[in-house]
Amino acid sequence: MVLSLRCFSTTAAAYKVGCAMVKPIHHKVKIKKKLLSPRFPELKLDPSDVKSPHFRPYLTGPDRVKDFYHNTLKQDLLLIGYRHDQIDVEGVKRRHWDMTSPYHLNRPLRKPRGQVVPSPTIEARNWKNIPQFETITLNCWVKEAKLYPQLAVAAALELQQITGCRPEPLYAKTNVPTWKVRPGMKMGAKITLAGKYASQFLSTLTEIVLPRIRDFKGVSNRAGDRYGNIAFGLQPEHIKLFPEIENNQDSWPHTFGMDVTLHTSAQTDAEARILLSGLGIPFTGSERVPKTLLKDVKEEAEKDEVPVKEQEAEVKSESQA
Amino acid sequence: MFSRLARRQLPAVRQLQQARLKRSKAGLNPDAQRVVTQLSVMSAGRKMPKMLKLCNEDYVKHKTIMKAWSVRRKEQIREEEEVLKKQYEGMKEASEDLKRVNERLFELSNRHEYGKRFPLELRVPTEYPARQVWYYDYVRKREE
Repeated sequence: MVLSLRCFSTTAAAYKVGCAMVKPIHHKVKIKKKLLSPRFPELKLDPSDVKSPHFRPYLTGPDRVKDFYHNTLKQDLLLIGYRHDQIDVEGVKRRHWDMTSPYHLNRPLRKPRGQVVPSPTIEARNWKNIPQFETITLNCWVKEAKLYPQLAVAAALELQQITGCRPEPLYAKTNVPTWKVRPGMKMGAKITLAGKYASQFLSTLTEIVLPRIRDFKGVSNRAGDRYGNIAFGLQPEHIKLFPEIENNQDSWPHTFGMDVTLHTSAQTDAEARILLSGLGIPFTGSERVPKTLLKDVKEEAEKDEVPVKEQEAEVKSESQA
Repeated sequence: MFSRLARRQLPAVRQLQQARLKRSKAGLNPDAQRVVTQLSVMSAGRKMPKMLKLCNEDYVKHKTIMKAWSVRRKEQIREEEEVLKKQYEGMKEASEDLKRVNERLFELSNRHEYGKRFPLELRVPTEYPARQVWYYDYVRKREE
């Protein structure tokens, strides 16, 4: 046989076929083995099937906030966000190595300029990317729970009472001996609301709770994570204004503050604020918008091709009484 | 073999020993009882609704209705998108016209609107009208 005589002038690769003879479908098509067998038919049902134990009825009632958004706000938001000749604002992406060293080969890309993770490209406004209110996250971290673990249970119950959904516990992750915090300690609860629960919570917040907070001026215009999620805090005494807690004050001698994060599909915080103001959340303070976002029209972009360093411009925002 | 048997019997022995311990009749102390009550409120035990048992006819009916409903919803979404697309194209066309006709007005109309806010008086509509529908002599508060 030829293969048995291996000499230095030839390699094994020379005998191999250059391409695969069989298309590797078996890698791509996942076979669910449970579907092959005729046994246990009730375990193979789709979760959207009524007979499945995973079935949840959905859209069971009218959703005021959602209807209002689709009937009124969406068209206005398209109009407000529209700029003629708008172009995409490229985010700061990972950079290639300059290949001056052979060690650059196969290296993971360089970090983006000035930050650790790349930022997304801001797309020009069109009828498909109108910002939309998506979810609310309530995060309730109780510092005293390190000494009194039962407080974490009470905080979780508080969240459940307010929202009507099941919270998940929060655990300490780090070991800080000076604060007596060790990993694995239950420190509170958090909850992510979507759909009708989110709408319900938002309307309770904007119609009952926020108007009755005495010193509440509005959510800060500086709040936000740059990518369209706005967060603010509620103090323990503000929680007492929720009707579920207020009508049952004897059971709640002690309430817990929380962080509320409003998640939207807006690409920037400024857009998210416009949307949330339409849903009844007041904003105060001066607003800052990155200068790169202000220069998103075609002609101006052609003039200065040098990438503008992340600067921020003060934007005069309309005052809300 | 013997050791496995012995291990199996072990829990029973333990139970016997526990039965001999003195039981406190007072129950838990109030703080602990409070936590237990709170946990029982949150636990999912006995709160799951019963699973529906549908006969075949009802099942087929249900499936048909759900399918028809989903088709209708998809249609509504498509219609809404079409309206928005029309609006977008209208705005684009109007801006194009304005740009040709009057450069200054176009620039005024094409400024970004980042500080814009919806008025705080805007309300999410309710199913029924309010007791006082309209404040006729409403004056907006002025900021100092």
